[in-house]
Amino acid sequence: MAARSTPKRSTPAAPTKPLWLVYLVGWLIPGGGHLWLGRPRKGLVFLVALPAMFVIGLALEGRLFPFLPSEPLVALAALANVGSGLPYLIAQTLGFGAGRPVALTYDYGNAFIITAGLLNALVILDAHDIALGRK
Amino acid sequence: MSIQSHLLLMAVFALFVATVGGVLLRDTARQQVRAGAEIFGSLMGGAIVLGWILYVFPL
Repeated sequence: MAARSTPKRSTPAAPTKPLWLVYLVGWLIPGGGHLWLGRPRKGLVFLVALPAMFVIGLALEGRLFPFLPSEPLVALAALANVGSGLPYLIAQTLGFGAGRPVALTYDYGNAFIITAGLLNALVILDAHDIALGRK
Repeated sequence: MSIQSHLLLMAVFALFVATVGGVLLRDTARQQVRAGAEIFGSLMGGAIVLGWILYVFPL
């Protein structure tokens, strides 16, 4: 009797780089994870586009929100801000991102800054898939 | 920044999101450009349609 062959489940290959380091590099340097994992074209696009969005947001007088547990939406915006990594840390250190709510472009600035952080989170997830050999 | 045109700012925003989205979602350059164009068109078209709906039926 022929043995029935069971279909093998495709398991992702073991990551070639430590995942936590991929996350850290990808967070600190937008696109850095892709550059490190050998996807230079994608990495360069992210490296240019995401910090540019962040800087444009600051130039439009957007705000880097503080962590206020009593204001859940503000805390979520702050979390999204942190997603930008090194640009966020530099801006915080240099005192940028005070925001001017009466400015015509204030909301646009916030949209740029928040979206840059959230997109970087997606980029980190993509780097995670690449590191696991899924892409 | 001196840009104060809402439409232009929206277009710049959509351009960045479309660029990152297209590159993120697809692997070949041709597919990335196509996906980026679709995202850009959806964002701009959606915003303009929504704008007209809100113009006729304001909240």
